[in-house]
Amino acid sequence: MKQVLEGSHAVSEAVRLARVQVVSAYPITPQTHIVEAISEFCSDGTMDARFICVESEHSAMAAVIGASNAGVRAFTATSSHGLALMHELLHWASGARLPIVMAEVNRALAPGWNIWTDQTDSLAQRDTGWIQLYCEDGQEVLDTTLEAFRLAEAVNLPVMVVLDAFFLSHTFEPVDVPDQDTVDRFLPPFDPRFRLDTKNPCAFGPITGPDRYMEIRRDIQAAMDRAPEVLAAVEQEFFSLFGRRYGAVDAFLCDDAEVILVVSGTAAATCRQAVGDLRKTGERVGMLKIRLFRPFPATEIRAILPKAPKVAVVDRNVSFGAGGIFAQEVKAALALHKGNTAVYSYIAGLGGRDITTATFQEIYLTTKDTPTPPAESVWVGLAQEERA
Amino acid sequence: MRPLQVPEEEYLRRGHVGCAGCGAVIAMRFALKALGPDTVVVIPACCWGVIAGAYPQSSLDVPILHAAFATAGATASGVRAALDMRGEPDTTVMAWAGDGGTFDIGLQSLSGAVERDEDILYVCYDNEAYMNTGVQRSSSTPYGTRTTTTPREGWKRTRKKNIMETLAAHRIAYAATASIAYPEDMIRKFRKARDLKGHARFLHVFASCPTGWGVPSELTVKLARLAVRTNVFPLYEVENGVSYTLNTEGDLPVRAYLSPQGRFRHLSPEDIQDIQRMVDEDWRLLRAKAQGPPQRARLMA
Amino acid sequence: MEIHTALSKQPAVLLACSTLSTDTNMTGTWRFVRPFHDEKTAPCGAACPAGEDIARIQMLTGRGAFRDAVETILLENPFPATCGRVCFQFCEGACNRASFDDPVGIRYVERFLGDMALAEGWARVPLKEPETPRKAAVIGAGPAGLSAAYFLGLLGWSCEVFEAAREPGGLMRWGIPAYRLSKDVLQREVARILRLGIVIKYGRTVRPQDLARIREEYDAVFVGCGLSRSIRLQIPGEDLALEGLDFLGRIRRGEVDAVSGTAAVIGGGNTAMDVARSLVRLGAEPIIVYRRRREDMPAFEHEIIMALEEGVRLMELVSPLKANRDGEDIILTLQEMRPAGVGPDGRARVAPDGERRQSLRVRSLFTALGSSAAPEWAPPAEQSQQLLRLGHITIRNGPAPLVFGGDLTNETQSVTDAVASGKMAALALDTCLEEGWERIIQSLGRARVGPGPALSMESYLGGARADRNRTVVSFEQLNMDYFQPLQRILPTIQSPEERRAGFSEIEGVYKKEEARAEATRCFNCGICNECDNCRIFCPEVAVEAGSGRRILLDYCKGCGICVVECPRNALSLEEEAS
Repeated sequence: MKQVLEGSHAVSEAVRLARVQVVSAYPITPQTHIVEAISEFCSDGTMDARFICVESEHSAMAAVIGASNAGVRAFTATSSHGLALMHELLHWASGARLPIVMAEVNRALAPGWNIWTDQTDSLAQRDTGWIQLYCEDGQEVLDTTLEAFRLAEAVNLPVMVVLDAFFLSHTFEPVDVPDQDTVDRFLPPFDPRFRLDTKNPCAFGPITGPDRYMEIRRDIQAAMDRAPEVLAAVEQEFFSLFGRRYGAVDAFLCDDAEVILVVSGTAAATCRQAVGDLRKTGERVGMLKIRLFRPFPATEIRAILPKAPKVAVVDRNVSFGAGGIFAQEVKAALALHKGNTAVYSYIAGLGGRDITTATFQEIYLTTKDTPTPPAESVWVGLAQEERA
Repeated sequence: MRPLQVPEEEYLRRGHVGCAGCGAVIAMRFALKALGPDTVVVIPACCWGVIAGAYPQSSLDVPILHAAFATAGATASGVRAALDMRGEPDTTVMAWAGDGGTFDIGLQSLSGAVERDEDILYVCYDNEAYMNTGVQRSSSTPYGTRTTTTPREGWKRTRKKNIMETLAAHRIAYAATASIAYPEDMIRKFRKARDLKGHARFLHVFASCPTGWGVPSELTVKLARLAVRTNVFPLYEVENGVSYTLNTEGDLPVRAYLSPQGRFRHLSPEDIQDIQRMVDEDWRLLRAKAQGPPQRARLMA
Repeated sequence: MEIHTALSKQPAVLLACSTLSTDTNMTGTWRFVRPFHDEKTAPCGAACPAGEDIARIQMLTGRGAFRDAVETILLENPFPATCGRVCFQFCEGACNRASFDDPVGIRYVERFLGDMALAEGWARVPLKEPETPRKAAVIGAGPAGLSAAYFLGLLGWSCEVFEAAREPGGLMRWGIPAYRLSKDVLQREVARILRLGIVIKYGRTVRPQDLARIREEYDAVFVGCGLSRSIRLQIPGEDLALEGLDFLGRIRRGEVDAVSGTAAVIGGGNTAMDVARSLVRLGAEPIIVYRRRREDMPAFEHEIIMALEEGVRLMELVSPLKANRDGEDIILTLQEMRPAGVGPDGRARVAPDGERRQSLRVRSLFTALGSSAAPEWAPPAEQSQQLLRLGHITIRNGPAPLVFGGDLTNETQSVTDAVASGKMAALALDTCLEEGWERIIQSLGRARVGPGPALSMESYLGGARADRNRTVVSFEQLNMDYFQPLQRILPTIQSPEERRAGFSEIEGVYKKEEARAEATRCFNCGICNECDNCRIFCPEVAVEAGSGRRILLDYCKGCGICVVECPRNALSLEEEAS
């Protein structure tokens, strides 16, 4: 049924439909709407779940780790500093192979305090062993959250569903909220592969010495390696039931493109518009939206980007001293390819600054007009006096 | 002498790697004898994280969830919620943390769990320093102690944090101190705590550490008893944060407890007097809160 | 809905999750000191001349295992009901509990057990059977002779006892007043001894010249005929005095009904007390006349106190010079004495205090100065390879070894010392015949309780007690954390008025619960009473219960907690041989 929903509530609805049993969270703008709605579901009985109002994000993640290890479907949500505070436990959740799903609302990190969108918070967690999926709109948020449980429970890795602050979390859009029966068919009750069980006492997470640690880490990598294939299968099922699919990446008008703009999050929607506008003026431009960041979909990217001589990666994030993070990953993915595609790196929209169709037009034109990519990322949209 | 009555059931396995004479091992042994097999143990980073066994071994006959250092209270809360959702509400969830994981890094998480009145039993086995990492001071380390981070003349000149009062201030349903030297009292308290379902419960267990305290391993239990008999570690219970019951009254000067220990060897007679004054002051405060006279510590054995 | 294979077939997760036990780790390899259950000797047992395993007896009594307790006593002493009444309780003097509150009422417990043994008919049967039958002759059916026969009987010997009197018991029958030991109790204890097949031949006076013949007929001979010669005052008018032991014998034969008037009893030993206290009961007003001071008296303090309570008067530092008849009275002339330092034997000396004299008018006069062996029965005095003087006995080798024992050789004249003598004789004779003369010292050494001189039949027979460490546990070696002060339980005791009224037994006997409670006061020094502290506190779960407690050395890290937490010092630590 179509409803007009905030992106945050698209998450909440998905969590309700997923029959999550334990939720634990700590408030941080702009994540609060997600957990407020879930709290209401829990208190009015719409959801048969326990909501643990912890005193920090660190404890929120600890609580869902405890819950997941005890064998229930568990969920949390956070953003920015909250995610940073969780860092230790992000490693723990994946190391313990727990299929936790977390909504992460991309928000900038202080100082200066900034509550607006910025991907650096989630991308800084890229090595924690979490699968990361970046969403473009409210429908995708809901659908991705449902898929995330399926994916997490199949490969026993936690999944982060990432959405932009305000542009998505606080933006109302029409969203098709599926009915419970169909969701139940897609997502059966959680059947944990292992759990704390007093009838079969095991010790989870003990000391693991150099003689055994590597094999266990290798198994996490193996699970990550399987994730794209599993995601595809999950999406196949999802598509058969709900008629929607998103893929690890989404290529838009790339086949004949001279320049492909690489984007993620809500910027993709704007980019889609910009590409359409440019096409009308005869520019051969395409867009590649990257939805799955971890594991990085290198195979899919190598199948698409080399079609164009130039690729412009637009990053709403920065790894200081290295530049745009998506660009880094794209370059690494293409390094194995024997083509001549040049990768241009742009940084835009940090801390909630708008990325508009004009921004993309500027990036397109700059890329088109620059024969070889500069060594460093180009910062787009800086105030004039600081640009020099 | 009436022999001590301790349940026969054994949930501690042989071959664990605790130091010879480890008080924390004795504490766990008694705790599980009291709680029985329907127990899940959450262990954050601490000595017990090691003693519980290296993969693929476990030294306990109940399920263990190892947890990050600061998270015992929260992780146990999550386990509790999950077991309730799974229809296993009777299983006892015991968080089992050292003093570092309780007094210091885990205090926030503990405070949160207690404030939420989570249906968990949180146990701090207190060996009064970061023993697992090589005897660094914690906020549980008592005045006068030498540790590797309060060495030589830099011995600790601040008092041990009063964790029981911290918990009492939360109006926790049940908080009690217990000592490995008084197994019957300890087992009674663990059972009382176990049976007080539906609420957060806290047990502060004195667990001597021969390795970290510079005492011969055979004195583990003796020292724990001396701590009680000198009022350094009085045995008492607090219900709802206000109703205090003293179980013991010491009958020996603190010197009897301090002098066998290497960590206090540098203390002058004046320093020991200072400590005696602090212990007396704490004892007076405690006495003032409790109703009725305590029993003599000696009779508890 | 189509289930995709990528979803339906996921490989197992390789997880840091422990499913195995640590019990395959042999942590015993960490150990550099090793605890072991090391039972030691309790001071009470070491002080008991009969070598009773008192700590164990108390343990068993405390548990209500009365029969086991009785059998434990009967292995070491055939006279628990008697000793439970008349023993001077050296054990209680040594009891570690005295350093804490009051010693355990060991004698009271023994009396309780002794009476229960008689009531229930509990007895010991022979413990071994010699390859060749052995037969001993015992001269005298007093406590030493009967004990010798009893212990030889336990060792499978047959014994014949030659007794001059018509009844058994010797001094127990004739020399101890009925208020301390009733005839009935003695007779029943002797009857139990005879159940071992021992025969007493009454009215058979054996003279020294008969020994040669007897030694031809028997494999061994024990001479326990006691001290038959009273020590004399050697003053004018001594004939006016009655000899104390004779007098006690007459009372017990029913020949004396009443004595009136003031009676002087000369002497300061236990017999003097017995005479004086008997005189009280017969209606007389006795005065004990003693040449030293009260604190110098050889009588046991307990006896003196009881005598004084009953109205016996005491004159100290007076020595009789002469006795004169004056009508119905006797005038006793006394030299006043004064303390004069300490003699080489450690006893106080007295000397006449110038010419100061007193006279004492009494109706009757008694002497109780002790006895000595008749010269013809004195143990041989020569030095010889074929002669051993072992404290409680003197033994001469020969085709039939000859033992002198009982009061003939004992330094302390008590029933319990007589038991000690009989036991030593039996163990020495058995060793001599089974292993040879030269093995006696070694054999008795093996049977020693603690540092000796008491001997244990159990140890002689290689029982568990033989393995017990001979170190005597001191109070400081106990872990007093486990004990709390407990009032010593007293049986009912007659008031002095009741006592003066007749010869009935003064002391009552514990009720069962009292016996158990008092026995539970015992620290059980040095012996394992299975309190389980070692097992309870072991951080390695490395102490196993079974019969006794076993340390699992595969796991024991040698922390030593079990040793310290043992309340009674029944464990020790030793360095691990690397």
